[in-house]
Amino acid sequence: MGEEQVVREIGHDEYDPKGTLALIAVYFVILLVMWVFMYFVEFLGNELTVV
Amino acid sequence: MSEALETGTPSFMDRFPQEASVVRASLISSFISLFLGAVFGLIQALHRTDVFRFLDSQYYYTVLTAHGVLLVVSFTIFFLVGLFTWATVRSLDRPLVDIRYTWAWYGLMVIGTLMAVVAILGGFFPSTDISADVLFTFYAPMQAHPLFYGGLAIFIIGTWLAGADYFRAWYAWKQDNPDERIPLQAFMVLTTMLMWYIATIGVAIAVVVFLLPWSLGLLDSVNPLLTRTLFWFWGHPVVYFWLMPAYLLWYTVLPSISGGRLFSDPLARVVFVLFLLLSTPVGIHHQYVDPGIAEGFKMIAMTNTMFLLLPSLLTAFTVVASMEHGARQRGGTGLFGWLRALPWRNPAFTGMALAGLMFAAGGFSGMVNAGMNINYLIHNTIWVPGHFHLTVGTAVALTFMAATYWLWPQITNKPIFSRPIALAQVVLWFVGMALMSNAMHVMGLFGVPRRTAEPQYQGFDFVASFGSITELRMQLALGGTLLFISTVLFVSNIALSTGTPRMSGLGKQLSEPLSPAADSPKVLDNLTLWFGIAMVLVVLAYILPLASIITDSGIVDPGVEAVPMLIDAATGLGPIGAVSDAAGRLVAAVVGVVP
Repeated sequence: MGEEQVVREIGHDEYDPKGTLALIAVYFVILLVMWVFMYFVEFLGNELTVV
Repeated sequence: MSEALETGTPSFMDRFPQEASVVRASLISSFISLFLGAVFGLIQALHRTDVFRFLDSQYYYTVLTAHGVLLVVSFTIFFLVGLFTWATVRSLDRPLVDIRYTWAWYGLMVIGTLMAVVAILGGFFPSTDISADVLFTFYAPMQAHPLFYGGLAIFIIGTWLAGADYFRAWYAWKQDNPDERIPLQAFMVLTTMLMWYIATIGVAIAVVVFLLPWSLGLLDSVNPLLTRTLFWFWGHPVVYFWLMPAYLLWYTVLPSISGGRLFSDPLARVVFVLFLLLSTPVGIHHQYVDPGIAEGFKMIAMTNTMFLLLPSLLTAFTVVASMEHGARQRGGTGLFGWLRALPWRNPAFTGMALAGLMFAAGGFSGMVNAGMNINYLIHNTIWVPGHFHLTVGTAVALTFMAATYWLWPQITNKPIFSRPIALAQVVLWFVGMALMSNAMHVMGLFGVPRRTAEPQYQGFDFVASFGSITELRMQLALGGTLLFISTVLFVSNIALSTGTPRMSGLGKQLSEPLSPAADSPKVLDNLTLWFGIAMVLVVLAYILPLASIITDSGIVDPGVEAVPMLIDAATGLGPIGAVSDAAGRLVAAVVGVVP
């Protein structure tokens, strides 16, 4: 099992989750790009809908 | 099991054999439901894509109802009670108060499930009067056999009693530990159950006061908008009821499997409190296109829904940070290089990590669903099933399956039959869902409807901006098939694990959080306070819409006639047959008139 292969203990004060910050930044960029993409596909790509 | 204590870490089964039996029974019930639900899922995926149709389309809704109810009610909730029983007993480190009571609620849940399933499967036998082709959402005026509503009510009573069992255990623990913080897993169980008690008020009233008496003939009619609103009062928080066990596993088990520690216990508590507060006053966002509810009320529901993104984003941060901690403890370095140091060969880890990744994608499509204006683009299209197959169908289901590979040995003292098959299974699920859900989302954008046996129409073609609809249909069918194979691999791996030799020392320890509960204010553990605020929010969000629905169209609406979902194949005179005949004639007439 993988969980036993700890090579060094990292305590609360010495741990800085900068990798997590980077991943979340990537996620936000993806979200942003998809929102912009959706605007072009769904709003500019369709005629006005009048009910 | 005294020899086990001498040779390794004692397992949950060694320490609490009676509770382990309940957990096992709940998980087995869950997996039987999973397998049956997957069979119906496969039939549906192949039917609506026109790859293989062996059932008449009139049975599509029987298949769809069985798929929905078995998976999102039985599979998820049986797993939940099993997991919560384990988590409560493990974290409080004491047995339940009375195991006979525990078996009683489990028995009620089984009886309720069997009643509902018999009613649903009755739909395949037109000669019987039993059917419940009303889908998981069971909107009136579609009417099911009383057995369906009765079964549902008994099942929910079972879950209420299960919750009471966890509260009893906590109360007993508190008498012995008056000054201690509630252990994290127990805290998660209790807040989730409080949310469930609030949420089920809606469905209990809908079923017990309206739908059951109506299907028994005691009430002549019901108000569909009222029962539908009461359904969604429960129908949204129930998605968090599916999700919270997955969150419990991500917060408390995944960090240990990653080789690290939970980043922050207080943050985890805040997240569960936020879900208790915000899960329920949002249900109206499922009714954005329902006439009869003012736009302002929908706007409030949307605002509350957007607030709900907060605990999910907090979770993304805390869980990923805990995984990163594990990776760095295992020697990982770099901004992204640490990802390679994670235990990807461990099926429990890989399954949960992939489930979390899919949940991030589901977060995006969920934001689209939640936005009042853009919801109109995808409402009632197959985009919506695409969304919830990412959330409940992967974030929840894949986490449950992956966690089983970790938990099962501890509740049976038997190792998993094959870890390589387990690893292949979780990856296959991810691949299958990536294909199926992608196809569903894209088809939804092109307007392909959901809940439709034959989404193909004479004189009308769906047009894809890129690729083709046929290509997307094949993608959906292929994805669905891979998911079915993955389910079979999972269920057979667990079934074969019952035959592996009994071992000792299979217990696993969970690591302590980096930031413990002591770092957070004690008010977080004040369950009465949070329950009270949650109730106030629910009253604020629902009292006016409900009052306006009742003022507009009454507690019951005498103009509404039931549509018993019975199919009279022998004579062709069943209501469905009559309605579709009439619709067919209407279409023929219109086509005849319009050039």
